[in-house]
Amino acid sequence: MAEVKLTDLDKSYDNGKSFVLKNINLHIEDGEFVAFVGPSGCGKSTLLRMICGLEDISSGLLELGGERANEMPPNERRVGMVFQSYALYPHMSVRENMEFGLKLAKVDKAEINRRVAEAAKMLQLEKLLERRPKALSGGQRQRVAIGRSIVQEPRLFLFDEPLSNLDVALRVQMRQELARLRARLKTTSIYVTHDQVEAMTLADRIVVLSPLADGAQTNLEQVGAPLELYHNPCNLFVASFIGSPKMNFFRATIVACGQSESKIKLECGTELTVCNDTSSASAGDKVTLGIRPQDVLKKDSNDTGKNWITGTIETIERLGNESFVYMKHPDIHEAFIARIEDSMRRECGSEFRVGVPAENCHLFDADGKALKRTQSPKFD
Amino acid sequence: MAMVQPRNLHYRVWAARIVMIALLCLVMFPFLMIISVSFRTGNFATGSLIPENPSLEHWAMVLGIPYETADGNIVEPTFPVLTWLWNSIKVSLTTSALILTLSTTGAYAFARLRFRLKHHLLTSMMILQMFPAVLALVAFHAFFNKLGGVVPWLGLNTHSALVMSYLGGLTMNIWLIKGYFESIDVALEESAHIDGATPWQAFRHILLPLSVPILAVVFVLSFIGVIGEYPIASVLLQSVDKLTLAVGVKQFLYAQNYLWGDFAAAAVLTGMPITVVFLIAQRYLVSGLTAGGVKG
Repeated sequence: MAEVKLTDLDKSYDNGKSFVLKNINLHIEDGEFVAFVGPSGCGKSTLLRMICGLEDISSGLLELGGERANEMPPNERRVGMVFQSYALYPHMSVRENMEFGLKLAKVDKAEINRRVAEAAKMLQLEKLLERRPKALSGGQRQRVAIGRSIVQEPRLFLFDEPLSNLDVALRVQMRQELARLRARLKTTSIYVTHDQVEAMTLADRIVVLSPLADGAQTNLEQVGAPLELYHNPCNLFVASFIGSPKMNFFRATIVACGQSESKIKLECGTELTVCNDTSSASAGDKVTLGIRPQDVLKKDSNDTGKNWITGTIETIERLGNESFVYMKHPDIHEAFIARIEDSMRRECGSEFRVGVPAENCHLFDADGKALKRTQSPKFD
Repeated sequence: MAMVQPRNLHYRVWAARIVMIALLCLVMFPFLMIISVSFRTGNFATGSLIPENPSLEHWAMVLGIPYETADGNIVEPTFPVLTWLWNSIKVSLTTSALILTLSTTGAYAFARLRFRLKHHLLTSMMILQMFPAVLALVAFHAFFNKLGGVVPWLGLNTHSALVMSYLGGLTMNIWLIKGYFESIDVALEESAHIDGATPWQAFRHILLPLSVPILAVVFVLSFIGVIGEYPIASVLLQSVDKLTLAVGVKQFLYAQNYLWGDFAAAAVLTGMPITVVFLIAQRYLVSGLTAGGVKG
């Protein structure tokens, strides 16, 4: 087991002309499970490959277990990696696949057998040990790939989108198995995924990366516990990336600033009260209001309370326990979504009104930085 | 196959069969002819396909067994044909093995490593290879003549010189193997590196075993190419006991007397090692070795 420390890590191509990763600073504690998430092209897999040594580091410092690892070849880093494509050795049986690294390391035969047997039991591979990868299903192959890195007893596990090649049902099942495995092994792990559900459910902390924009200082957007990212995203990018369906965004201007409560006005003229600290801004500033589809309330048309938005229904997705209502408003730039806890049939084109609870609002300044929520929900 | 077929398919299948049988005859005829000539009494190139007076005199000649003719004379074999055969096999096996070693390692560099001028090197090797080696016969002669003065075992009239000159032909094989290597997912070797393998171990234990089919192809192709090679061997080898079979059999064809029967028997003999090598190699010509390793 080991801690991982990244200091000012850069990855660039063409002698520093084009950057993929810039100024990545991250400290992963011993035994921690960290997920890298981000849209494709954000460099999350590249970062993982830099940590295991398959990709060189352009500048900055990588420390594994307290020692500099920049120049260490992958075979000396003692890390285990599970590839998206499994990368099983097709000419070897499951047993040989798992034994391969141990044989290279000249571990003695009895110890090899013990470790393989243990891993096979843990991953329910006992009956498959003599098979070739060709004769295994996708889920079984992925389990072999995991087993192959477990038997090495690495100080760090790296997962590169391990479940993305599996079908949905299998993915859920494998996710559970990974969580169980994780609780048992307690090895430091880094998990790359574009699936935020995997990240939210498995990780102790999530690292959100974005594709590097021109002139940006870094593409590390936010690091934090899953619920921290969900409830207090630090900027527009993280807010739009975490949560499904995506958070709704409305352009707005500040009407009245305040430390615990502020008033804003939407494009359509509706005024809303929000629980955000806008003391650093001034009235008239352009802001973006963010509200999750799950956080809006269904309002009856005869409700006279404040803080609501009206729109016309475009489409409804009725899922039984819930419905997603896609709405439009002629004066509001983007379509918005509300999650409603019923599956009533509603006429498309009819008017629909949703409540926007002030304490559920996210507010972002013109640069996309979050203005602090004053009444964000409690979580641990 | 359950696909619906047009009705005239039946005739087309038959037409295809007839064409194939005709083609087969065309290919088989010269071969059968050679075998027939080698069993025919006397040295005649023409005659019926099935010898009228079958005789083993030519086979005795090439296998080095004294032969008694019908009128009681003992004919001693004139040439050491079996020595030639052994020379041929020796040279071909060594060359093929060396070509295989050098071209797999070379192809690995071109397929997996990044270095300057890689692309230029590949193309220039390809272009240089296009000039027939025969055009450089004089150069080969002069080169090995001089070299022999310094390193005697690499001089003219040695097998090592011949092997050396054949090694120049490995570019084509580098291209072949490189193409195959590139079809194997790099993730497999990467995963071996993570498992603790050095680059050499990843090459030896992962890439090579998965490339066995193309290695077999390269081995067979260079073996066939070398065992039948005439021009360079005829220039570099001089004494009778050093000749390869391809050069040696030419000795049966004097300007005044073409000994077709002996020639044919020796020719069939040349085919033997090729057949053996091919039979061994085809065990490795299997497809689907890499199946199941990665999911794309």
